[in-house]
Amino acid sequence: MEPIAITGLGVASPIGIGYPAWREALRDHTAAQRRAFGRVSTVLDPEKVGHAKAAEVWDFDASAFLGAKGLRNFDRLTKHMIVAAKLALEHGGVKKDGEFISLDPGRAGICSSTAYGSLDAITELNLVAELEDPRYINPARFPNTVVNAAAGYVSIWENLRAPNVTIVDGNCGALDAVLSCETHLAHRRADLFLVGGAEVLSEALYLAFRKLGALADDGTRGGLCLGEGAAYLCAERLDHAAGRGAPVLALVAGYGTAFEPPSNRAILVHASPQSVRRAIEEALLDAGVSASDVDAVCSSVGGLDEMDSAELSGIGQVLGDRVPVAAPKRIYGECFGAWGAMGMASAVAWFDGAPVGPIVKGEPPRELRTVVVTAVGFYGNVSAVVMRKSS
Amino acid sequence: MGRVFVTGIGVVSPVGIGCREFGQALLDGTTGAAEVTLFDTAGLDRHVACEVKGFRARDHMSALEARHVGRCSAMAIAATRMAVEQSRLTSEQLAHDRSAVIVGTTMGEANILGELESAWIHEGAEAVGLSKIARYGTTLIPIHIARSFGTRGMVQTLPAACAAGNYAIGFAADQLRAGRADVAITGASEILEKLEFAGFARLSAMAPERCQPFDRDRRGLLLGEGAGMMVLETEAHMVRRGGVPLAEVGGYGLACDAHHITRPHPEGEGSAHAMRQAILTSGLTPDDVDFVNAHGTGTHANDPIESRVINQIFGSRRVPVTSIKSMVGHCMGASSAVEAVSCVLTIGSGTYPPTINLDNQDPECDLNIVTGVARAGRARVVLNNALAFGGYDAVLTLAQPGVLPDQGGS
Repeated sequence: MEPIAITGLGVASPIGIGYPAWREALRDHTAAQRRAFGRVSTVLDPEKVGHAKAAEVWDFDASAFLGAKGLRNFDRLTKHMIVAAKLALEHGGVKKDGEFISLDPGRAGICSSTAYGSLDAITELNLVAELEDPRYINPARFPNTVVNAAAGYVSIWENLRAPNVTIVDGNCGALDAVLSCETHLAHRRADLFLVGGAEVLSEALYLAFRKLGALADDGTRGGLCLGEGAAYLCAERLDHAAGRGAPVLALVAGYGTAFEPPSNRAILVHASPQSVRRAIEEALLDAGVSASDVDAVCSSVGGLDEMDSAELSGIGQVLGDRVPVAAPKRIYGECFGAWGAMGMASAVAWFDGAPVGPIVKGEPPRELRTVVVTAVGFYGNVSAVVMRKSS
Repeated sequence: MGRVFVTGIGVVSPVGIGCREFGQALLDGTTGAAEVTLFDTAGLDRHVACEVKGFRARDHMSALEARHVGRCSAMAIAATRMAVEQSRLTSEQLAHDRSAVIVGTTMGEANILGELESAWIHEGAEAVGLSKIARYGTTLIPIHIARSFGTRGMVQTLPAACAAGNYAIGFAADQLRAGRADVAITGASEILEKLEFAGFARLSAMAPERCQPFDRDRRGLLLGEGAGMMVLETEAHMVRRGGVPLAEVGGYGLACDAHHITRPHPEGEGSAHAMRQAILTSGLTPDDVDFVNAHGTGTHANDPIESRVINQIFGSRRVPVTSIKSMVGHCMGASSAVEAVSCVLTIGSGTYPPTINLDNQDPECDLNIVTGVARAGRARVVLNNALAFGGYDAVLTLAQPGVLPDQGGS
């Protein structure tokens, strides 16, 4: 693929809001992890879920970024997405004081991932419909139940009139959003995209994963620690970035994806080292780089033993044991559809001086020029992108 | 730009399962509207929708597959099976890493989520079924298809509300042209679900009995459900294996109104841009377009704006226009995929399906609408409009094989 320039980054995360806070937090992984998981959740009601270990976007107040007006009917997902989008556009020099300064709104779009959308909005309406009367559900809140509505609200709020794409590919969505972005940039359907994704905590999501036995809450076994957040990167063609004088933070140079079914057709959830290997190989080929060029892997290792071992095995099959593998989800939690965006945002911070990590395999790299970001889905699907430091 | 062809189509719709039944029902002007049977509508002031009747997953897949999938995925698999059979692709030609599955939807397996939440709300977390949790997930639709047909390339879900079908088909064609796959299974699927039905009722967007696109007295949309799926192939792949093209996928146009979450832009700016781009990127001019399958929801908001945009694009030329939503209802995420299947059938038959229930055409919808009965006509180039909730506009060009100009490339 033609390399894509990353020229801005906006993030709303458990370790900080805004790129400077994000980068600063990632300088000290231990402190960042304490910050992410060190408090009692305000989203998950202890009476309903008991003791819950989750990384929340703490003290998140959308009105501090967006003003108080017009937020009443936005759900948590929408607010996170709009804040991250706004911060990315400002950081990328696309907008200032709410106005476009270097782009026509008709040439700016969004490619956004979420795995589960607004579960809290659906629960809110179902509670009314089930316990009271479906006639009482709030029509102004009903649009929030539609999975692409949050990205639609981003376009409305930020006046982005180029294509608006929502991708729902589970854990792989935000990396798959890179493919949408690359495709539409190549066809000149836009000059710049916000590419990334968001996921938010909800009681329904928490209870579902606890029921599946996938959470590490009690500390006696492996499992996921849930997180949340939103991250968007300003992504554009290199010539376009140069034309508007935008500094390039990093390049996205290649994308690959693969699917492998389970050998046992009776199971649904599984991970495949072959998918990991194929996705990384395809991404490297797409980027025109060889395995020996890779300095680090920003992996999606998140605490589920079967998934993690398949991912590490697949990475090893392509890159050998030389390349360090990091697991940033250990800092800020499992954020599903937002993961790939958080992973790319982590890589941007690494290129910008934050240390690679936490490292689960290998030694810290001496030099960092090329990073592979991986995302492993629950059903045998895997995606990968190659990111390179801007020269 | 490399050529991409449709070599198989399949459909599960409120007026028929399978292309023959579906196509004939459309030409006959058959309505799919009836009292809702999938859930209780008591307490709501609307009771009619366009359900898929007589669909049984086991008619289209193994018992093991049927046990894993929800109704939305099941309809997608059924429609895919029809498309693959028509394409005559062998499993060897399909089951590899150069085959992609790209599917649109709005809410995916929404009924499974509804059942999970109902159990949780009334009986507590302990009552929530473990197997149902694993079966919920919008991303599962293409996964289930890939498992059923052995494809190992990309699996992607593009939820774009009522434009999801066109999003998926256009994006799949993009991937074939970019060389990321040789074959793509694409389209969209959607099911009727109680919360969705209640929500549209509360938005006062639903008609009580009939969907009447472009009628002066229209009272809103009727919700529908179904799946429209197709097999796309690069020209090289199709020729190499001796496949037969049903239609060619031309360009498509995307835009976002960035105006209102449920209402279209008053001037139709986004939809006009999407229509123009669909024509231009196909190497065509508006004069080349023979027929428009309108979004035509039957709502007060959509129909006059879409009419103005069509007239703006085509000027004084009175291009024939139909909304099959008058028959199949608004199948939400599946609508533009089901309608794309209808467009391919129109290209093959040279007959435009009618817009039924049009008693008094709205002067604000001053279009050459195919009313009452089907009409024979030229159908070399067809536009498929989808102008969705959230301001998502997607317009797709489909054409008779050999009609679109060669725009270079491989």
